[in-house]
Amino acid sequence: MSGCARLSDRMPEVVHGRSRWTPDEAAHLAGCADCRRELALVQATVAMGRKAPRLTDPANLAATVERRLAGARMRRRDGTRRIAGLAAAAALLIMVWGRWPERPAPAAESAGSPAQSLVPLPELELLDPAELDSLLQRMEVPSAGSSTLDAPGLGDLEDTELEQVLDTWEG
Amino acid sequence: MTPAPLPEPSDQALVAAYRHGDQRAASELVRRHGPAVARFLYSSGALAADIEDLVQETLFRAFRGLDRWRGEASFRSWLFTIAGNLTRDAFRRRKGREVISLEDRDLPDRADPDAELAAGELEERLRAELGRLPRLQREVFLLRAQEGTSYEEIAAALGTTPGAARVHYHHAVKRLKELVG
Repeated sequence: MSGCARLSDRMPEVVHGRSRWTPDEAAHLAGCADCRRELALVQATVAMGRKAPRLTDPANLAATVERRLAGARMRRRDGTRRIAGLAAAAALLIMVWGRWPERPAPAAESAGSPAQSLVPLPELELLDPAELDSLLQRMEVPSAGSSTLDAPGLGDLEDTELEQVLDTWEG
Repeated sequence: MTPAPLPEPSDQALVAAYRHGDQRAASELVRRHGPAVARFLYSSGALAADIEDLVQETLFRAFRGLDRWRGEASFRSWLFTIAGNLTRDAFRRRKGREVISLEDRDLPDRADPDAELAAGELEERLRAELGRLPRLQREVFLLRAQEGTSYEEIAAALGTTPGAARVHYHHAVKRLKELVG
């Protein structure tokens, strides 16, 4: 290794005060303009780093980072809960539907009448068409001839079932 | 006789403590490495006004992805690689525009205004030129020159070999030396 290469390797240690030049190195430095320029460059780089803005409050910075991490964890949990809620809503819907197999088919002329309330299920809009088809196939539609997707009214449910449905929708 | 001070816990020990819910360990890691990350970002050309936010983002990403730190490189070097990614993204957003400015704190206020001004100008040129270096050259140079990190550790942090790190350093030095009179 040449004298210049050896000095180059040692410069950071010397500039950071972890080491000192040997007499041989000091002599080389005195006679080598290129090494002096490199030394000046390393010194300028260290000096530049010292001018970096100081962090105002590291403890507060750590607390801010921890708050952000907690927020990120909560968002991840919320996403999981939303999916679980959707699955629970679908399962409950199937269960509720299954309890009214003998429900009479609605009269064709009464379809769309205000008295026949459809249960709004915003979660169903999030399902893929294939998932929706699968869900519908698993439901026993009260009348094979009925083309109307008529859900049982909320008023038909018992109080505990109603609470379950509402809890599930609210996630 | 006063008892000898307890040795400071290693980064690995602090990371393990943080994983077990010790928030003070995170604060200690921030106190220990935050200023070095700020130096790295500043020297890489980040705006002074952005440093605090960038340090915070670096630490956030580091703690969020702590499982990816396998301890091959030092925790600090690992933080620098994350900060390097942020700097690269910031450069892309700026699309190469030069926004480095001579700020108040760089103005001469000491006994030798000419020397101070020359030093300030050199640093500004240095920051600008560092920003133009290829990423690996810049990061190797800063880790080596500014932090005194060994080539072995630089190689582990940046996913290269010590020999390649040395070559990157010398390429960077060759180019940056032109700035020094």
